[in-house]
Amino acid sequence: MIPLRFAARSSQPEPFVMRLNAEVRAYELDRTGLRTEFDGDLVEVAGQRLTYASPRGTLVIDGTTAEEVDGDVVLALPGGRAAQRLIRATSPHNTFLITERCDQLCLMCSQPPKHHHADLLPFFEAAALLAPAGTTIGISGGEPLLYKAALLPMMQRVLTHRPDLGFHVLSNAQHIDEDDLDPLAGMRDRVLWGIPLYAADAATHDRIVGKSGAFLQLMETLPIFARAGASIELRTVIMRENAALLARLASFVIMHLPFINRWALMQLESIGFGRQNWDRLFFDHSTEFTPIADALNIAKARNVEAVLFNFPRCTVPQPYRDRAPSTISDWKRRYLGECSGCQERDICGGFFEWYPEDRGFQRLARI
Amino acid sequence: MNIWPLRFRDLGCGSLLFADDAGGFFKGTEDFLHRYAFDALTDEDQAFLHEGGHTFQRELDLSYLGFAYRWCARQAPRRQLGYVILVPTLRCNLTCSYCQVSRAPEGARGFDWTEDTLDAVLAFIGGLAAPEIKIEFQGGEPLLRLDLLERVRDFCRQRFGKAEFVVCTNLQAVSAEAWDYLAAPDTFISTSLDGDAVTHQRQRTRSTELTNAFFGNLDRAIEQFGSSKVSALPTIDIERPPAVDEIISSFVDRGLRSIYLRPINHQGFARRGRDPDVGLDRWNAWHAAFIEHLIERNFRTGTILEEYYFSQCLKRVLRAGADEHVDLRNPNFFASDYLVIDHDGVLYPTDEARMQSRIGRIDLSVGHVHHGIDTEKVATLNAASCNNFDPDCIHCPYQPFCGSDLVDDISRYGRIDLPKQATWFCRRHTSLFDKVFELLYRRDEATRFSLSRWADLESWPEHLVREHQ
Ligand code: SF4
Ligand code: SF4
Repeated sequence: MIPLRFAARSSQPEPFVMRLNAEVRAYELDRTGLRTEFDGDLVEVAGQRLTYASPRGTLVIDGTTAEEVDGDVVLALPGGRAAQRLIRATSPHNTFLITERCDQLCLMCSQPPKHHHADLLPFFEAAALLAPAGTTIGISGGEPLLYKAALLPMMQRVLTHRPDLGFHVLSNAQHIDEDDLDPLAGMRDRVLWGIPLYAADAATHDRIVGKSGAFLQLMETLPIFARAGASIELRTVIMRENAALLARLASFVIMHLPFINRWALMQLESIGFGRQNWDRLFFDHSTEFTPIADALNIAKARNVEAVLFNFPRCTVPQPYRDRAPSTISDWKRRYLGECSGCQERDICGGFFEWYPEDRGFQRLARI
Repeated sequence: MNIWPLRFRDLGCGSLLFADDAGGFFKGTEDFLHRYAFDALTDEDQAFLHEGGHTFQRELDLSYLGFAYRWCARQAPRRQLGYVILVPTLRCNLTCSYCQVSRAPEGARGFDWTEDTLDAVLAFIGGLAAPEIKIEFQGGEPLLRLDLLERVRDFCRQRFGKAEFVVCTNLQAVSAEAWDYLAAPDTFISTSLDGDAVTHQRQRTRSTELTNAFFGNLDRAIEQFGSSKVSALPTIDIERPPAVDEIISSFVDRGLRSIYLRPINHQGFARRGRDPDVGLDRWNAWHAAFIEHLIERNFRTGTILEEYYFSQCLKRVLRAGADEHVDLRNPNFFASDYLVIDHDGVLYPTDEARMQSRIGRIDLSVGHVHHGIDTEKVATLNAASCNNFDPDCIHCPYQPFCGSDLVDDISRYGRIDLPKQATWFCRRHTSLFDKVFELLYRRDEATRFSLSRWADLESWPEHLVREHQ
């Protein structure tokens, strides 16, 4: 796995943000005059120990190379013993975890909520402003919109200062109201809202997200996103709980949510509650693809784009394979023995690092 | 609960088709119609209507927005002008039986672009805002002026990010230079293939020698460039249609999988003294039988052949955005995304409008390449290019899927205010959509196999179309 955190020693006990610049990048910043107070230049290399100095402090990082982290934005954590990689310069998968709190308790949550909350928003804002050109930054949680009063203005500021950036927010959309219409509309082309919907009936959806009234609340907030012209990625994790109801959900989507940008049908991730409840939840589409095929065809017939997330390509019948792009983030992706020599490995997203081979897909074979 | 107005049509056997303004539809019963008309809907009725997106509770709620979005998406957007049909010459080396008005003899003078016209055409195209361009060379026989084709293509290739060219040729006489021209990956061939060789000869080539030359060139084009670069359209004389099997094999044998059947449209003196709608019922019946034939054949062979226009109608029933066919759109605004430039530089909104103007029936020109588009005239035409408010179409459940073609009305009847049901356009499309819905509600594997592929689906999903008792 690609590390997201390094052991470090900071000259400050207080947390601070630093962009790590090797020599070429440091010269380039001087030449172009684009240096910021967050820029730290490499001043010493001793094996895998790198020292960077910035106006805000000095940071010694262990266990990596200057090439590997060049251009990354890190947060020196409180106490000064570790550095969190907020932006990896070479990766398209950078996500800010806004909070670990959440008002839902989904059966398959990959990141079960915790009560404790540390407000890192100002650091995220600084990091976003230092991100490489043209990046889309993930915003996730917990439920990020629990802190919408600070989050939405922060996003607006970043988007204003950096016209090249975009956000992809994963939110349960329970906390939006009429007052948010303007900010949502202002960001509409640059923020993609990933919003989960698990069934077309309230009982099933509410049971899956562990909150009664959640479905009805979505029916109130989705129109606000729609009126704002917001870009929406509807997300449906497929489980034994809802697989049989997929065609009905597809019919609901084409009629009531035709304005979404795309509908993502997602395979389960075996971590957090997803791991605990795996045996009860995992729906093996490699042996039973019909409900998914029906949903894909209903959507396509009506011009709604539907895609398969986290579906290893060989588990998908050939005619549908092109709807299964590589979606598992690089830092938590792996391949199995079967994958060596597979012709489609380069375009296949493979498996989550924590995929349980003995209880996973029955039909897997290299292509 | 509020219900969006439903229109309905008898499908036979006690069933009715119900459809709303946004193109949502279902099959229902007379009992349901009665309950709907007399305000006696049951709870099940209401739940059914709500699920299908035919209702809303209050303005701007989710169902309301879903409906509004679907309605808007159905209105063909007015796009950038990026498709230009050019007629560099009206001269032709064939004399097809139904084409006296859109051609001039091969040796005639004064039917080609002048140097001046060419310059103006290039300036006009160069001034378009679209980032990409599609050029269709029509005629006459455009290959008679390969030199003009070369100059247009050279110009467009360097002026636009992406440019595509279609040469509509009779493939009768193709010089070595013309083969080179056609070989380019951005250049496509469109030709006529009237079913079988006998019919093609009767309607077009007249002599065995010319017929053989045509088929020789067609086969060479497909062999050399592949079937995806060649399309061939059959024009059918409904009074003497070729055998269905013959049409199919002349396409399949050449690897062509899409057949666009068009009825002969008699023009000028060929129409004089004829009922403009002669053969309409026969055409509708013949076309429907052709579709059944395809369904049976596709299922038997496991391969797919389509009739292009029927697939288009099917897609329009299922979804918004199937607006590629310029005769089947609504609103069908003129000179908005495509335009014809004639051999003398006159601009027309469509090829048919060019024909009508040439025979002197009505002047449908919309400007000249030297002076640009006559926006006032376009606005006048556009006022009648929308079926949403037509006094007949507003009662028709097919309105969201159907189009409007006022040039066809003018060409047949000399006016645009006939009751719709009395027009060729309406009667043809009524018949087409009747067939589409008959098939959509037919529950057999063979039909579903063809329907799914025609609609670009991998298989036919259960629950795609809804029924209510
Ligand atoms: S064998 Fe591995 S790489 Fe190939 S499609 Fe399957 S999961 Fe993907
Ligand atoms: S033209 Fe005829 S078929 Fe088309 S919408 Fe109007 S009434 Fe209906």
